[in-house]
Amino acid sequence: MSAPAPVARVSHVLLGALRRSPAALVRLAVWSVFELTPLLTSGYGIARALDDGFLAGHPRIGLAWLCGLAAAVLVGALATRQVYRVLAQIVEPFRDELVGSVVGGALQRSTRLDGRPDSGAIARLTHQVEVVRDTFAGLLLLVRGFVVSAAAAVIGMTALTGWVGLLVLPPLLAGMAFFLLSLRSTMARQRDLVLTDEGVAESTSMLARGLRDVLACGAEERACARVRRYVDAHAEAERTVARMAAIRTLSVAVAGWLPAVGLLVAAPLLVAHGATLGTIAGALIYLTQGLLPALRSLVDGLGAGGLRLVVTLDRLVEAGERPRPPEPTTWRRPDGHDLVVDGVTFGYGRHAEPVVKALHLAIPAGEHVVIVGPSGAGKSTLAGLLAATHLPQRGEVRLGGVPVQDLHPFALAGHRVVIPQEAYIFVGTVGENLRYLNPDAPATDLDTVVEALGLRPVVTRLGGYDAMLDPRMLSAGERQLIALARAHLTEAPILILDEATCHLDPVTEEGVERVLAARRGTLIVVAHRISSALRAQRIILMDGTNLVAGTHQELLALSPLYQELVGNWGNGDGSEGPQPTSVACGPVSTG
Amino acid sequence: MTRDAAIAPAAGSDPVSRQAGRVLLATGRRGGAWTWVLALATLAAAGAEVLLPTTLGRALDALGGPHVMGLLLGCAGLIAVMVAAKVVGDIATGASTARSTAWLRMHLVEHLIAIGPLATRRFEPGDLVTRITRNASEAGQVGVATVMVATALIPPLGGIAALMLIDRWVGLAALTGLAVMAALLRVFVRDSTETIRGYVDTQGLIAARLLDALSGARTIAAAGSIERERQRILQPLPQLRSHGLRMWRNQAWVSGRSALIRPLLQLSVIAVAGFGVVGGRLTVGELYAASRYAVLAAGLGATVGYLNKFSRARAGGRRAAQLLAEPVIHYGTATLPPLAGQRPRGSRLDFRGIRVCAEGEPVIDGLDLTIPAGATVAVVGRSGAGKSLLAALAGRLADPQEGEVLLDGVALPELSRPALREAVGFAFERPALLGDTIEDAIGFGSVDLRPEQIRWAASLARADSFIERLPQGYQTDLAAAPLSGGEVQRLGLARAFAHPYRLLILDDATSSLDTVTERQVGAVLASGAWGQTRLIIAHRAGTAARADLVAWLDRGRLRCLRPHQQLWGDPEYRALFGADTPATPPGALGVPA
Repeated sequence: MSAPAPVARVSHVLLGALRRSPAALVRLAVWSVFELTPLLTSGYGIARALDDGFLAGHPRIGLAWLCGLAAAVLVGALATRQVYRVLAQIVEPFRDELVGSVVGGALQRSTRLDGRPDSGAIARLTHQVEVVRDTFAGLLLLVRGFVVSAAAAVIGMTALTGWVGLLVLPPLLAGMAFFLLSLRSTMARQRDLVLTDEGVAESTSMLARGLRDVLACGAEERACARVRRYVDAHAEAERTVARMAAIRTLSVAVAGWLPAVGLLVAAPLLVAHGATLGTIAGALIYLTQGLLPALRSLVDGLGAGGLRLVVTLDRLVEAGERPRPPEPTTWRRPDGHDLVVDGVTFGYGRHAEPVVKALHLAIPAGEHVVIVGPSGAGKSTLAGLLAATHLPQRGEVRLGGVPVQDLHPFALAGHRVVIPQEAYIFVGTVGENLRYLNPDAPATDLDTVVEALGLRPVVTRLGGYDAMLDPRMLSAGERQLIALARAHLTEAPILILDEATCHLDPVTEEGVERVLAARRGTLIVVAHRISSALRAQRIILMDGTNLVAGTHQELLALSPLYQELVGNWGNGDGSEGPQPTSVACGPVSTG
Repeated sequence: MTRDAAIAPAAGSDPVSRQAGRVLLATGRRGGAWTWVLALATLAAAGAEVLLPTTLGRALDALGGPHVMGLLLGCAGLIAVMVAAKVVGDIATGASTARSTAWLRMHLVEHLIAIGPLATRRFEPGDLVTRITRNASEAGQVGVATVMVATALIPPLGGIAALMLIDRWVGLAALTGLAVMAALLRVFVRDSTETIRGYVDTQGLIAARLLDALSGARTIAAAGSIERERQRILQPLPQLRSHGLRMWRNQAWVSGRSALIRPLLQLSVIAVAGFGVVGGRLTVGELYAASRYAVLAAGLGATVGYLNKFSRARAGGRRAAQLLAEPVIHYGTATLPPLAGQRPRGSRLDFRGIRVCAEGEPVIDGLDLTIPAGATVAVVGRSGAGKSLLAALAGRLADPQEGEVLLDGVALPELSRPALREAVGFAFERPALLGDTIEDAIGFGSVDLRPEQIRWAASLARADSFIERLPQGYQTDLAAAPLSGGEVQRLGLARAFAHPYRLLILDDATSSLDTVTERQVGAVLASGAWGQTRLIIAHRAGTAARADLVAWLDRGRLRCLRPHQQLWGDPEYRALFGADTPATPPGALGVPA
């Protein structure tokens, strides 16, 4: 990838950030000029203090000049404090914006159809945003500092020595050119550094989530070696970047020290032409205390910080939030809640084998259907298509006669609720978690649903609806129960459970399905256990290419696959029926 | 609870602070020779820097005289030394930091692995990642920061000495100014460490919320609640900004003062030296040198930057130390008695008087259970009966508070890690797959497996067909492979089958498989991939039926250990599987058994 594109993109973002706070920028410029007053006046003032004062035998005049300089220093120091405050007003809002964009981008990407949890997001959030914050602030400081200092040095030198002051320019320009030439390759190295940093974060994240499995597999060494690969690569990138820093130091030597050496070499000549000692000393002060430090900061800042800023910010922009596509001006309203799948073909990715092909299916409002089939037969895909979280590549899914993509997302969320296998529980109160899909649900409804689903002991254990909830304190089954309670709290006429009960024991699962089936509206269950099928009005059997729908008896008669699915359930090997006489095991509970 | 512990401001010299000191020391040492090269280069640069003003001053005085060229050459030479030393210093800085950071990161990773799964109860995964990436890289700066802080004192001190040599009064004027600066620096270090910690912890909070939301992506997508999630995650943002503004205020405070002190120091030195020139005690060259030395002396202020880096390193070291303070799993040295070619190649497993409490409530309370060698035992019970805990105890993923678990007569904590892990394998309900490729993920273990072993294991777990349909088959990038819950579970099973364990523990490891696949895998289990002992946490009647014995857990105790067929008549037992729905046995559904 070539350098200019990211530079352009990043410049656009940075300029945008600057443009949003024009008042702060003006204040920054004004305070910057004040901040550098001492520098601009230093060489000249000291030259005058020496020549007109101390060397001329008038110490009072010398002191007066120095007092004047001290006053300039006071102004400069006050200005410096203001500069940082103004800087914070530009940088902190920009950081907030970046954090928002990283979070938004990560959410957008992982909620997309083929989205995967975006573990790089954490590195972006904690590390890269900080890099941008620090380098952006540093760069603002340096660039305005360099511009003002270089101008001050050249103006001051020329004021003191006339044309000799212009001798500063050739080595300065040569050094800067050398530095700019090395930028491109430095940039590539900086990019490696950022990429390897993300590698470390991703491999560590995989490890942090898989600690139990590492232990169980006895694969400590292997897990360690995998992270080590990324850590070592990052260390190597860090060393290479340091070598580029050495090249920058050389550029500074050329641009900053050469003029000073030149001045020294020319000094005997200048003195011979009538320059005073004060003039030479003043000129040296402009070069060594004005130009050189500003140059060093700028080159280091641009070389380390500036490129870091470009590379890091470019990645943040790349992974950041995208503006939402323009919405159609008119959304349609469904007429009723019949679901129709009309000739739908769908596959994951353009080149992938379609998971469902030319599928036809109608689910009238209010029906309780169960989707069954072997693993990989497309059950979840069908559920996704019915839920409009997957959009068909060919054909269409209609809700109440309206193609689902013509429904406003919020309207869609009001019409149907999807509970996936992985229950999402977040840090918040128990009540907030329960009300996730219906924030306005009254407390009485909460009580009803909690009782119906047998969640009362869990809620009590957690400390009631207002208690903060730590997701790690819940078992997988309890998480699912809370997710199901959410669904029950909504008025959505279509409820889709995609293996949402898989962590519940069969008894609890059955209870939950009965409670949800008793609710008004359509219930679509992707079955985790075949026992779910027996509770449905209609069963949809998926087996890859075919779809068969019917009642339990119809499917038993029609489908060998269904016979196999059902036959394997129940008394396991099926070799023997129940043996009621042999039960005499432990305390028998009543009820 | 755990989050609070991470955020809570720590008291002065708590154990974590001491541990942080040790961590930083060890990290700094790993910089090795490069740190010394950096120290030498910095010393050379500092030396040249201290000599340069005197040489320049003498050259100024000698202007027009016969010795001027020699002195000017001397100046050029000193400048060359300074530049060269800085170039070497740049390279050494990178090398030293890279080594220290890499070492600390791996030290943390190794410790994290040694803590095991308990680590994620105390720290959220996102927080762990932050500690190993960002905080370790901050702490990795400790060697360089130390060298810088130490050598940063040389030019200022050299400057003061030179001022004293040039003129006593000039020297005293400089010292007075410096005393004021030193007092200000002390304030800054304390302030910034606290503020930075607050900032970093708030960041961790946002990261943790984001990580939670990413794991619930499907729910969020379906509910169309991205915007709501975004707001919830970003809720601590104002807090972050207020910490951030405090950091800038610190910075403004210090910069404002150093912008004042340094030039004022220089001006007062020039004024005092000016009177020396008027009085004939000093030459112009000496005055120039004195003014430069005043700048060097004021360079004490530059140590602020290094001290800032140092305080970041301290904050990072502290976060590393918190992780390193967590206890690790200890292993014994014992090995298992050989199975000496006997069939079955399985171990006997004994639970004796096991008691485990969680949050004060007993989960397992007085459990005694023996799994005979080579047997398949299904563990059943209602949710919360302690089944998963029993599985974890059987392979020492957790230790009981009371009682012991014996494998072939050896208590598990006495076994060496290789002995234990080569003997006991697990398959989980939700396995975490690790590695680069699918093949890596199946072969993941203590020893390397041959490709045909991996393929064999995959076929036993009925995973071979879907793997072959993936873009690069077994070499498909794990992170990019679109895997369903059932497919992940089958890869987890393949991983468990691939190794010749004596005891295989399946914790609900077939729950996401459809009934047909589950039966096929169940048949493999019934015969035993390696003829090993099998402990299966079961939710399906079919699984229990295929087992030799069923261990029925009820309220943390063993209710009984019998074959499935003897239990099936008990309605309470059938209720465990939701089997009361059809009051008839499967045959009555008209399907041949």
